[in-house]
Amino acid sequence: MKLNRHISTLIFAAVLLLLPLFIKNPYYLSILVFIGIYSITTMGLNLLMGYTGQISLGHGAFFGIGAYTSGILTVYYHLPSSVAFVAALILTAIVAYLIGVPSLRLKGHYLAMATLAFGEIVNIFLNAAVDLTGGPSGFGEIPRIQFGSLILDSELKYFYFVWVVFIIIFILINNLINSRVGRALRSIHGSELAATAMGVNAAQLKVQVFILSALVASVSGSLYVHFVTFISPTTCNIMFSILLVMMVVVGGMANIWGCILGAALLTILPEYLRVFEDYDVIVYGFILLLIIMFLPGGLSQGFAMAYSTIRRGRSKA
Amino acid sequence: MSDIILESLNIRKGFGGVVALDNLTFLIARNTITAIIGPNGAGKTTLLNVVSGMHAPDRGTIFLNQKTISGLKPHEITRCGLARTFQTAQIFGNMTVLENVMVGRHVRTRSGIISSALRLPRMRREEPVTREKARFYLEMVGLKDIADKPAASIPIGSQRLLEIARALATEPEILLLDEPAAGLNTQETRQLGTLIRTIKELGITVVIVEHDMELVMDISDEIIVLNYGKRIAEGKPVEIQTNQEVIDVYLGKEE
Repeated sequence: MKLNRHISTLIFAAVLLLLPLFIKNPYYLSILVFIGIYSITTMGLNLLMGYTGQISLGHGAFFGIGAYTSGILTVYYHLPSSVAFVAALILTAIVAYLIGVPSLRLKGHYLAMATLAFGEIVNIFLNAAVDLTGGPSGFGEIPRIQFGSLILDSELKYFYFVWVVFIIIFILINNLINSRVGRALRSIHGSELAATAMGVNAAQLKVQVFILSALVASVSGSLYVHFVTFISPTTCNIMFSILLVMMVVVGGMANIWGCILGAALLTILPEYLRVFEDYDVIVYGFILLLIIMFLPGGLSQGFAMAYSTIRRGRSKA
Repeated sequence: MSDIILESLNIRKGFGGVVALDNLTFLIARNTITAIIGPNGAGKTTLLNVVSGMHAPDRGTIFLNQKTISGLKPHEITRCGLARTFQTAQIFGNMTVLENVMVGRHVRTRSGIISSALRLPRMRREEPVTREKARFYLEMVGLKDIADKPAASIPIGSQRLLEIARALATEPEILLLDEPAAGLNTQETRQLGTLIRTIKELGITVVIVEHDMELVMDISDEIIVLNYGKRIAEGKPVEIQTNQEVIDVYLGKEE
């Protein structure tokens, strides 16, 4: 099983490496970049939601903190993107700690409300602090990421960069899930009462995983801002936070591969639904509804079911 | 080491107007099986909850190996060597049977987020030991064959045994069992009795809250009888069986 895990990661990395041989259109490559960025955010959120069972409707705000900190520090203070990136992580950790300690005492709907409120507060701040953030219209001309003489200025270069970051975070989180800490996280989801009776410091661990998932969201926010080179508050508003939750649920809770599926579907779907023009939102909602109704375990569950059906079919023949 | 492992001194716990535990004082001797019995609402489960740190007592002190544990958090008390099971089995339904028991190893291992994510040497060292010990305890309770099944899919009798295996995996000095025979058939209950004796042979003190009198009288060294949060009798099973006050409480007094 352990070997299996590494092999599937390797196969996935190989597919990514070869993908640009077949997809050369910059538009499609940019879609793949966005899928990579959102897959990273979703992975972090899944650690909190799917594995630990703690909902957050404010993760768009952490994405925003990462994006804005990277943007502001590189544009207005001319700092290198790497320094801005680290500063964004530090700021995110501090904010996540301050929010996490009081709000993770809450459970279920109350936790959802608290994190929703946090996301809204951040968004109001981004709109109001015009001098710092450019207000509702945001700001642009954010520089590309640069490594020495290598500037990540094309879709292809950024594609590789984002997915390398993805693979690194994927491996780290996958290791974490299959460890003592990962089991403790899942035990909190299963029964917090029994988890504490087993010696798991649930209160502390929940805050730690909240910070961790916020940091992952911040990383993806920084990646986003250096690709799009523009940021405004609508990028990280409540709707985006809810979209992230949808990506986790549609992909499959507590399934790390589901993050890619969820992020991919919800990124690609609106692009294809443009043919429906004004009715795209209705079709979009309907498709999501069907998925949740018939695949409560998300797309990853659908894949697992299809796989076992095929195998059963084969062994019969 | 003293012969007394657990000592409770003047414990009081009330919920609103109801006094669940009323100045309760008792001693549990090391390496014995002690049953706590009493009619419904006598305060048995509250007692286990207070001892294991799920509820803080209003007054009084609890000592485990002469160390004060009242006021500590449940996870801290588990680290001190006390483990428990629950009246309604609290298994981790989202994990396999084996993983459930591996969670029990949490207090005896130390890998944190960083060493787990990076697979540092400590984590690589601990992981196989955790797995091996978890298998050992599963074998002990007789669930080895279903180790890789999702825990949510196993029958209630097996869930109770799984809870015991998981609690044993914390390597406790004292194990509290809250109605472990509830929902078990006669044969399963008999096997449970044998298992509890085996646990005692490992040097673990067992405190059991149970309604199945046949099981209680069969395995207990000592019995404590509670009624309305007070201790009304204490002694060997034969003494309890002939104690007039206990009979009155259970069967009603003749006027």
